[in-house]
Amino acid sequence: MGSQLAFKSRIASTGSLEKIFNAQEMIASSHIAKARKVALDAKPYTDAIFDAVQALAAHTHIKHPIVEKRDDTPRVAVLALTSDRGMAGAFTSSIIRETETLLSNLDSQGKKPELFVYGRRGVTYYKYRNREIADTWEGDSDQPGVEIAEKISAELMKAYMAPADKGGVSELYVVFTEFVNMVVQRVRVLRMLPVELIAASDSANDEDLLSDEHGDLQKNDGKSEAPSASPLYSFEPSVDEVLDAILPKYIQSRIHECLLTSAASETASRQNAMHTATDNARNLIDDLTRQLNQSRQAAITQELSEIIGSADALNTEEE
Amino acid sequence: MAGVEKPTMAVNIVAADRPVWSGKARSVTIPASEGGMGILPNHEPVLTVIKSGTVTVVDPEGTRQSFKVDNGFIAFDSNKLTVAVDRGSVVTAEPEDSDALAS
Repeated sequence: MGSQLAFKSRIASTGSLEKIFNAQEMIASSHIAKARKVALDAKPYTDAIFDAVQALAAHTHIKHPIVEKRDDTPRVAVLALTSDRGMAGAFTSSIIRETETLLSNLDSQGKKPELFVYGRRGVTYYKYRNREIADTWEGDSDQPGVEIAEKISAELMKAYMAPADKGGVSELYVVFTEFVNMVVQRVRVLRMLPVELIAASDSANDEDLLSDEHGDLQKNDGKSEAPSASPLYSFEPSVDEVLDAILPKYIQSRIHECLLTSAASETASRQNAMHTATDNARNLIDDLTRQLNQSRQAAITQELSEIIGSADALNTEEE
Repeated sequence: MAGVEKPTMAVNIVAADRPVWSGKARSVTIPASEGGMGILPNHEPVLTVIKSGTVTVVDPEGTRQSFKVDNGFIAFDSNKLTVAVDRGSVVTAEPEDSDALAS
């Protein structure tokens, strides 16, 4: 009888867990619509900046630290975008795994990576292991606003523009999760700085990039700038000032874009994880119910056989 | 409005987190970094940094609309004006405009 009680209480607790998972799943799916809207809202600005940078690249030979390789320091910055909350399946752990791979790759190339982490889960992971982190940001990882993008890009730009002896970095890598669709989210490594500017006309895939993972810029310009030859702009007050103003904004909007796609991925992966958890809880309940029935049946059979056995014994004694 | 149809241009005002306004306009005034700048349709292609201030759009009906903007830039080409700013919000939309009535 005792085990029946145990089964019943396990079924009850699994049932309430299932309800929680189910609720989480529904919350996540309602957030996805929001995340999509935020991403769509930010798109026109991103496009405008991208077009402007294209225009700049098309008819000026850009001389700006942002586009130039610097070799004066082995330090490079790595920004990992993780989530604030758990219950998102392998979201954060795959980012961390990819980040670790990247870090050791950079190490073996003789570079000194500095880690920047966004998202509470990633921060706790590295803090717990007493790893050195250059800077961290937390909050709103499932719906990042412009403010957080501004903060992150300002900090990273500061590190990038700083001279070598003051902690400057020569490159910036971003590890983030790309939202392919509801089911597929892919972890990607993007080298964001120095910017690879390719004039719209020669955007063929022949640049000597490390790998196709870094070819985002080229991929983008193919679709946005393909048809018309870009007009001859006049720049006011001067090309340099326009560059100074626009390139940091470009970086900021790229980072914002990464944050947004990462947020969408986080939500989608949370929905998937919660869906699986709900299914598992249901299976578990089914299994437990079956076991409960079995044990009840066994108990009944045993009782019966005891009664019959004792009745038989009485009968034989009377004879 | 009788008389010759005035030329217009397409205007797009976008902030970093959302599109603010888009539509046709007869003229636009922007707070360029070196002072106010007016842009009329078929302006030469130009890319200009703008500072915080007010963007004023006069639409084909002569309505004057103001937008408060914060740091950004404008790009004008093929009769299309894009105003991209960090932050932007609609301030006023005045239906009556004396200039428009006079013309």
